[in-house]
Amino acid sequence: MIKIRIDPVTRIEGHLDIEVSVDNVDGIQQVIDAKSSATMFRGFEIILKERDPRDATIYTQRICGVCPVSHAMASTLNLESAFGVLPPDNGRILRNLVLGANFIMSHILHFYHLAALDYINTEGIVDKSPWLPRYITTDMVAGDTAEVLVGHYVQALEMRRKSHQMGAIFGAKLPCTSTFVPGGCTEVVTAEKISDFTTLLSELRGFIDNIYVTDVLAVAGLFEEYYQIGQGCGNLIAYGVFDLDAAGGSRLLSRGRYTNETIYDDVDPAQITEYVKFSRYTPGSGNLPPEDGETEPQIDKPNAYSWIKSPRYQDIVHEAGPLARMWINGDYRRGISVLDRIAARALECQKVAEAMEGWLLELDVGEPTYEYSEIPESATGIGLTEAPRGALGHWMEISDSKIYRYQVITPTAWNASPRDDFGNRGPIEEALIGTPVKDVEQPIELLRVVHSFDPCIACAVHLVSPEGQSLGKYRVS
Amino acid sequence: MIIKRREFMKYCGAVAGAMGLSVSGLIKLQNILAAEGGPPVVWLQGQGCTGCSVSLLNSMYYMTIDELLINTIDLEFHATVMAGAGDLAVEAAEDAYENEGYILVVEGAIPTAENGEYCYLWPGTTALHAVETFSEKAAYILAVGTCAAFGGLVAGEPNPTEAVDVSKVVSKKQVINIPGCPAHPDWIVGTIAHLLINGKAPALDQYGRPQMFYRKTVHSACPNKQKFHDKAIFAQQLGEEGCLFKLGCAGTWTQADCPIRKWNSGAAGEFGDTWCIGGRNPCQGCTEPGFPDRVSPWYTLELPKVSV
Repeated sequence: MIKIRIDPVTRIEGHLDIEVSVDNVDGIQQVIDAKSSATMFRGFEIILKERDPRDATIYTQRICGVCPVSHAMASTLNLESAFGVLPPDNGRILRNLVLGANFIMSHILHFYHLAALDYINTEGIVDKSPWLPRYITTDMVAGDTAEVLVGHYVQALEMRRKSHQMGAIFGAKLPCTSTFVPGGCTEVVTAEKISDFTTLLSELRGFIDNIYVTDVLAVAGLFEEYYQIGQGCGNLIAYGVFDLDAAGGSRLLSRGRYTNETIYDDVDPAQITEYVKFSRYTPGSGNLPPEDGETEPQIDKPNAYSWIKSPRYQDIVHEAGPLARMWINGDYRRGISVLDRIAARALECQKVAEAMEGWLLELDVGEPTYEYSEIPESATGIGLTEAPRGALGHWMEISDSKIYRYQVITPTAWNASPRDDFGNRGPIEEALIGTPVKDVEQPIELLRVVHSFDPCIACAVHLVSPEGQSLGKYRVS
Repeated sequence: MIIKRREFMKYCGAVAGAMGLSVSGLIKLQNILAAEGGPPVVWLQGQGCTGCSVSLLNSMYYMTIDELLINTIDLEFHATVMAGAGDLAVEAAEDAYENEGYILVVEGAIPTAENGEYCYLWPGTTALHAVETFSEKAAYILAVGTCAAFGGLVAGEPNPTEAVDVSKVVSKKQVINIPGCPAHPDWIVGTIAHLLINGKAPALDQYGRPQMFYRKTVHSACPNKQKFHDKAIFAQQLGEEGCLFKLGCAGTWTQADCPIRKWNSGAAGEFGDTWCIGGRNPCQGCTEPGFPDRVSPWYTLELPKVSV
């Protein structure tokens, strides 16, 4: 048996360490055990205590600079449920447009700049840092096709920049919008802004339809074995996103789950429990629903190996992400694997961009975008939405008009979670099991599996912390 | 299509125009960039959110991100964009260290509690240790974003990890602070261009910020100043027309060129009024050492929760 450690896992957001055991099973060298852990702690929930509830929108966006708009959305929905206010239609639509722009940005960034280098041999095309040093395996796309894809990598840099430029028209600036507030959006609707937004959206739709989706299909055709690799837990969860009415009665991508091969059109937040048996928290921090969440670290806890908790729905492991959303919405049900995640992400990008064009037509120039509300003396709130990488929930308790408790469960907490109290692995760990590894010195297969989840570690970690021990320089043993 | 170093005049013109450079400065930049291999850059991420890196990708004005990465610098280590992972990535950083003379960029704060163990960059190496070590052989040190420059949100009361800014860790060398939450890409790229052209740091203010970007207050160039503030027209509620001072706007004491530079634009004013106040939201004071505790609670004139 060989142990492989990849630390740092690069081309993701944040600090992730992957350790797997590889052995020969049925003549194939493959992963037989896997652990993922994160290596950075900030303590946002602790810092948020006693602050003005409205500040949560500014603060929580800084949990993650790749998906800040999703935290802005989750926190404003959270505050609106606590304040008892709903945004006017204009405000709701503006927020959807800014969130949609960030989805497009994130999905393009993920495929071209984070994931694609696992599939393309850039040797002879761009021979300098940061594209060297790198793994080069014989199955990678090379030659003319690689040149075209590298060209699209460069073009995609411009496209993702323009996605942010588009979102900033109603979001003021990106990353980290400053226009999302409980009750709507501070930005107003003008014909000129609609026109500017439309111009950029048209260009982006052209890129998504003609280049992004096409490239994904091309890569999928060349790596068909990855429809069988990285299948994971097989259960999916989505809170749904892009409210089509203020009360959240319908969404572009619906709420639901796929559990034990059955589709359910509901998610009851009361059925979510965070487990900590293998997380470095006191036992009292575990077995709790998020609205009562506690996070008290215990560095030397026996058998614990991660600082991410294990959120479970009805005690069952679920995967979050674009594939979960598209599956539950009925838009994509080919299968669950590395390539299915990548394909569903591209098709979702296309779907969201198309919908945004329609939303622009629903805006009413001159009509209000914001509804005033007071901070309640005491209240509880919940905000469920989606980040580009999956289901995102914020919970809060207000006391004396200040934040008493703030809890966040991010998509990467679902996906990168360690084993739960029942011994079930988290989705990324489970997806790594059975992954063939041809060359332990260049375990590119592991990166392909991990990258397909588009993990965001800064998001996932309530409290990620000391490793406990120093493991030296050696990473492949 | 083979990507290689190209002619530099295309963007040198933009740099020169924007920075008021002399022709000799331009020639110097060309000579530096024409040499085999660009200036090495090591980009370390401590307790950050990658927002400043994402912001850097939005670079447009001085040069686009592909110009920067392909033709201008050698980005030897940056965990979010580099192709290599694990051992290969760490070796790239170690090689840069051995070769010396790189530009060290730090994004995110540095936790000092528990001997720095709240943030590991790779096995056995904490952010604290890495910043201490890599600063030794750096030609320049840039603290990008308010977390790296001043501690930022991570160091907000009660600062559970005892997070500090880069200058607290690197005491013997100059640290160029490029705050902002996130930092504007022009502030990052413009500063790097200045270093390459002039071979020295730009003039800094008392907080270590390049004066060329952070010299004046947001208020001094805010279009709402003449239009509303000077006529005592104040918005009482979000969404109202008027100066946002009474809604907690920090523009009067926050130094940054946002009102002129704007955000997410190819050129100032392109595609709308994209900056916080342009979006009718108060300035959040994100380029100041007191962010967040001195400026929050936001949206109110109430006294800050914590006196700074």
